[in-house]
Amino acid sequence: MKHPNQSTLALFAGGDLGYFARWKTERHLANCDLCGAEVASFEAIREISTDLAEVPEVSWSGLEAEMKANIRLGLVAGECVRMADAPLRERRLFTGFRAAVALASIVTLVVTGVVLQTPAPLMADDHMVVQGIDNGIEVGGRGSAFRLMNTGATNVTFSVGAQGSMGARYVDPKTGYITINNVYAE
Amino acid sequence: MRSNGFNRLAIPMLVGAGVVFAQTAPLPDRSVNINLPNDSPVSLVSMANQSSATPRGAATVLDLHIGFTLRNDRSNRIHGVMLRVVSQEATLGGKGSVTYPSLNVGPGETFLVRIDMQLVRPTQVSDGHMAQVDLDGVIYQDLSFYGPDRLHSKRYLTACELEAQRDREYFKKVLAQGGKAALSKEMLQSASRQQQKDGAPLNVRVVRSGPVVTNAALPPEHPEQFAFVRFPDAPVDPIEGSAQISGNEARTPRIDVMNKSGKPVKYVELGWVLSDASGKQSIAASLPSAERDLYIAPGKKASVLQETTLRLFSGNGQPANVQKMTGYVSQVEFTDGKIWVPNRQNLENLRQVVAPSMEEQRLSQMYVNKGLDALIEELKKF
Repeated sequence: MKHPNQSTLALFAGGDLGYFARWKTERHLANCDLCGAEVASFEAIREISTDLAEVPEVSWSGLEAEMKANIRLGLVAGECVRMADAPLRERRLFTGFRAAVALASIVTLVVTGVVLQTPAPLMADDHMVVQGIDNGIEVGGRGSAFRLMNTGATNVTFSVGAQGSMGARYVDPKTGYITINNVYAE
Repeated sequence: MRSNGFNRLAIPMLVGAGVVFAQTAPLPDRSVNINLPNDSPVSLVSMANQSSATPRGAATVLDLHIGFTLRNDRSNRIHGVMLRVVSQEATLGGKGSVTYPSLNVGPGETFLVRIDMQLVRPTQVSDGHMAQVDLDGVIYQDLSFYGPDRLHSKRYLTACELEAQRDREYFKKVLAQGGKAALSKEMLQSASRQQQKDGAPLNVRVVRSGPVVTNAALPPEHPEQFAFVRFPDAPVDPIEGSAQISGNEARTPRIDVMNKSGKPVKYVELGWVLSDASGKQSIAASLPSAERDLYIAPGKKASVLQETTLRLFSGNGQPANVQKMTGYVSQVEFTDGKIWVPNRQNLENLRQVVAPSMEEQRLSQMYVNKGLDALIEELKKF
């Protein structure tokens, strides 16, 4: 037997079903005690609701005082029950596997930030470019660079080769030798 | 218990991984390989490595700092060495050279060469060699040469050595004729010129090919003629030349030259000085002949040209418009291998824009740092 659903029974109890649906439900209820009991319970609730709506005078201040008293009583009772346990706030928030997962997430976030924050390598032109940079000369393009550095050197003289090269010459402060670095774009 | 143990291991591991990932990591000695031929006149004595890799954005920066101690295994004194440095990664395509001219290394003596380079690559660090260092050439006191010469180190080292000999002889002559006071005065003037020159150099980018698209921000391109400085004793004279100029770009320079010597010439290099509108900022470029089989018979003409674009910038990174170009012959190689370089008198008119030779720079720095006596001792060694 197929039973009507709960909403149909509730609407039936309230007299809100349409004619055809009401006729079908009545036929079903005539042979089904289970659904009949369901309808009876809906009707009982409806009557109680009606009674509640008819409560004449409520002392709201008295009700408030009673609720506050009950809340205080509940809190005191809760403290008495928790006396043997450690205070709730001293418990560790993250322990075990959750701590590892949380830390891994933080590390991933930091690493991603570092990766995204740092500027991408030189992409000066679509062509291969040779140029002077801080403390050196480079040939590069398309995200790659080849640099010869003159770190620590002073009095560096740069030169350019029109065939696509650049040079930096200086006296190496560590060896005292003249050093000539050249990079080539070909 | 198991949970606590896992915590003790996992947290340091994760923190450590983060630290390692974000910071510099040392690179092993095998990061740079030095390749010396079997018959090399120098041998590797020792190697010091302070190389590291640092992640930077999506790329990796490899800082390669290698010191090689080499020994002269021949009976001749070494006066210059050129090393060829190449990136091992084919996609990077980087190539460079590190040259040590003005050496004075006797038989059995050792000398230190340092390679300080950076490779920026979009890929992760792989194991093995990052860079290869090859011996490209060695020049001796008598101008004899050894090496595969892939980077034309023979011509380059010979020209450096000729310039060094020229300047040492000049300062020896000053000392002989004017004494210590005269040499001291020369050195002070040289040091002063170097300081002035370093005051306002132009930065430049060299693009191997011409512009792909027309830059709307630049004014229309026009040919600009070279002004030439001619040297009476030069075997080759510049006749006329021009480059296409547009704003801060100078493109496709071309200079016609004539061989006025009695010997055929196989290589010509011109100095090319580009100045901005104020004339206070300039950059010295070299314009070598491009043809591998260049041959200029006595009395004949030829063109020296390059398909490159120079973009000039002032010290603060702003484009600097090219206003004036000066050209002069800076090097000539004859078919017999002999090389000509300008003498000091020739270069007198270009002192404001052309840097002194490396040897003059070295000697003046020695004078400033170690004093006159040390300089005189150094001159006596050659």
